Amino acid sequence: MLMNKLNGNRYGKIKQTLSGMLIGAAVTLSGCASTGGVEQQVEANPVDPYEGFNRKMYVFNDTVDDYVAKPISDAYKFITPQFVQTGVFNFFNNLKNINIVLNDVLQAKFQQSAHDTGRFAINTTVGLAGLFDVAKQFGLEQNEEDFEQTLAVWGVPQGSYLVLPFLGPTTARGIPGSIFDTAANPVTYVGAPVQLVSMLNSRANAEGALKFIDEAALDPYVFTRESFLQWRHSLAADGKVDVSDDLLDFEEEALEDDVNATSGQTAAAEQDASGNTTNPKAFALKLSADNKEFEQVSNSFSSTAQSFDATAKSFEEASNKIDQLKFK
Amino acid sequence: MVLRSIKLALVLVWYFLATATAYAQEEGAATARQVVEKFQAELIEVMKNGKQLGYAGRYEKLKDPVSNSHDLTKIARIVVGKEWEKLSEDQQQNLVDVFSRLSIASYAHNFKEYSGESFVFDSEEETARGGVVVHSHLVVPGEKDVKFDYMLKEKGPSWRIINIIANGVSDLALKRSEYTAILQREGFDALIAKINEKIDNYSKQ
Repeated sequence: MLMNKLNGNRYGKIKQTLSGMLIGAAVTLSGCASTGGVEQQVEANPVDPYEGFNRKMYVFNDTVDDYVAKPISDAYKFITPQFVQTGVFNFFNNLKNINIVLNDVLQAKFQQSAHDTGRFAINTTVGLAGLFDVAKQFGLEQNEEDFEQTLAVWGVPQGSYLVLPFLGPTTARGIPGSIFDTAANPVTYVGAPVQLVSMLNSRANAEGALKFIDEAALDPYVFTRESFLQWRHSLAADGKVDVSDDLLDFEEEALEDDVNATSGQTAAAEQDASGNTTNPKAFALKLSADNKEFEQVSNSFSSTAQSFDATAKSFEEASNKIDQLKFK
Repeated sequence: MVLRSIKLALVLVWYFLATATAYAQEEGAATARQVVEKFQAELIEVMKNGKQLGYAGRYEKLKDPVSNSHDLTKIARIVVGKEWEKLSEDQQQNLVDVFSRLSIASYAHNFKEYSGESFVFDSEEETARGGVVVHSHLVVPGEKDVKFDYMLKEKGPSWRIINIIANGVSDLALKRSEYTAILQREGFDALIAKINEKIDNYSKQ
């Protein structure tokens, strides 16, 4: 299922790849930037004001990937048996749970933090230091949380889209996010060999997503930007689709087109009218959203106690299942 | 006692009306949910026979299901945004044709095999402007579920899909950014050439 791979956590991993080599990049880049091709300035996208720079970085990263990262990753995938690859993936994925739990708490998702703590505990013990994803078999799916999402929940604006050398797509909010996430990942504090394996694992797992982009994108730069931004947005909103948001624009535009075809004047009038009515509506929406936030926070506090119960229960269930396994 | 019999009569009438409308819906136009579920069933069916069918076979099998459930003309139009009005009638027709082929080709390419996947309906909601969003997810054994949200609009007697949001990524928004960027930077012919190139690549694999 390529669709799945496209939207998975792969971009985040690319982002983490080769971290710490930023300074080296800055040096090489000064040479790179001057050789950039013809630049056509088109309507600047409000989220991507540095498109000229970003496109150069994108090409740079792409080249590095083609000539360095992909060959090494292909070799790794060729040499290493599948079960070892899965084990390596599980191991690093499990370590990420520490950061996930931290961010659950920072976002006041206490029930979820209990779930993720349970997941980490089971996989670290029964799953032999995380090599086996036992928790998944028990129905404990991994949640995706990081500090960038936490900042989003706290109301920090996303800022401009940026493509960083070696690190790939991010946003202004994503930079402090990545710094926090890196600091909260144990891999950061062990030796370089482990970090190298971690990078290799990240690149190998991004293969599906990168292949999909290659196949589907007419303009890979725009495709990557849009899917990255939408994916991050969806994660911060915990997967909720905002029906009233961008879809309405499409509809409006389609509607406008229809009306335009018959008579231009009515279209203008309608637009005026709809413009007038949307404002108070938007305001009301915002108010209700604020209200909801308060409710959510108070709800989550009251659910803390419940979540402890839930953890106890999930541990109980897990141990029951382990018992059953033993009997088999 | 009288009250009770009235109540009973009311319940009966309500029951009758409910079944009557249900029948009417079945015979007449399909609801948004039915359109989506029919398409998903057809897609799964093609996936199950994916290997034997091959790319060309899948393309043929999916041609009608895709065109009948999606409003491809409207999608093609939204995807190029304001540039649509700048295109000549021939260009518009050309775009709709090529775009339709791309849509079918990408389904034929990406849904090529079956490993126990199934679609599950979650809920349905109406949008402010008379559209309907059908929330569903694809269950992939051994992997995380993939959320599929379909946005539908009424077209004539039936409903048609105009957008698919997979795990929070809107296909329409994605394509629109790409297509308008290419139209602005490189023009119409380049856009058509690029779409044709994609269709070619899909057919080769």
